[in-house]
Amino acid sequence: METDWAAKNLQVIRTLMERGAVYRRALAPVMGAIGLTGVVAAGVAGMLDLRAPRSLAAFWMGVASLCLAEAFWLIRCQALKDSELFWSPPTRRVVQAASPAFFAGFAAGLIFLVIGPGGPLAIWLLVPGWMALYGCALHAAGFFMPRGFKLFGWAFIGVGCLLGAALCLIGPPPVIGVNWAMGALFGAPHLAYGVYLYFTEKDRNAT
Amino acid sequence: MNPKPFFQLDRVIHEKGRLPIMSLLAATPELSFTELREALKMTDGNLSMHIKTLQEAGFVSVTKTFHNQRPLTTCSLTPNGRRAFAGYIDLLEQIVRQARDAE
Repeated sequence: METDWAAKNLQVIRTLMERGAVYRRALAPVMGAIGLTGVVAAGVAGMLDLRAPRSLAAFWMGVASLCLAEAFWLIRCQALKDSELFWSPPTRRVVQAASPAFFAGFAAGLIFLVIGPGGPLAIWLLVPGWMALYGCALHAAGFFMPRGFKLFGWAFIGVGCLLGAALCLIGPPPVIGVNWAMGALFGAPHLAYGVYLYFTEKDRNAT
Repeated sequence: MNPKPFFQLDRVIHEKGRLPIMSLLAATPELSFTELREALKMTDGNLSMHIKTLQEAGFVSVTKTFHNQRPLTTCSLTPNGRRAFAGYIDLLEQIVRQARDAE
């Protein structure tokens, strides 16, 4: 009988310690940088008049890689500043949770690059596909992050599904619009969320 | 079974309300009062009372600062608190081990 409560207490401690070790890096600079990169990239793609489907896919996959590199660098700087491990258990859990959906998005882009374009609808459908998968990645990571992140993920999933349905029902607009869609649907929300977090990230802990 | 480990358990930590606080604080450098309250679903009064007890035992340190003109209370384990918590877990593990050996 005595072992029951002792084992239960140990389980409670384990669960709480896992829950307590939430991912605590400041996300405002990360979101802001990703958002700014997305918006600037949309402008650059528009100026370059990027409309060949393969070039578009390659360009936006490159932008995504750049955003990942920025996030990595900013988080590493924060960890160094706080004298904490970069590859901490919460960081590991966040990366593990988000990886499958990120991998699926990368694979979808790669398949598109290899197999080649199948008309404007195909490249257009990559946008809602990426959005939904990215939303899934954010939602999964949100289990180990402060509140709000899961909701942000749901927003991407919802908008991705709506966009996908609209494209299938109405038909795709001109291919050049993919750049503006990426800027408006990926860049701008990140920028807005970054600004929101900048003003609220510390405040929500105040009491 | 040797009852000794049970009697050695720190009564300040070995309390339903305080053990979760110690567990959460052991996993992170510091947590705000709000984060603790939300994680443990405790009332302000109940949480304050337990934190005060832990503070008096020298296990928890409380820092009060201001951020954007709003008070910010953060709690963290003291080195003494970390040692006591580690000792508490060791004793629990001993109890579980003894009971399993006895079976």
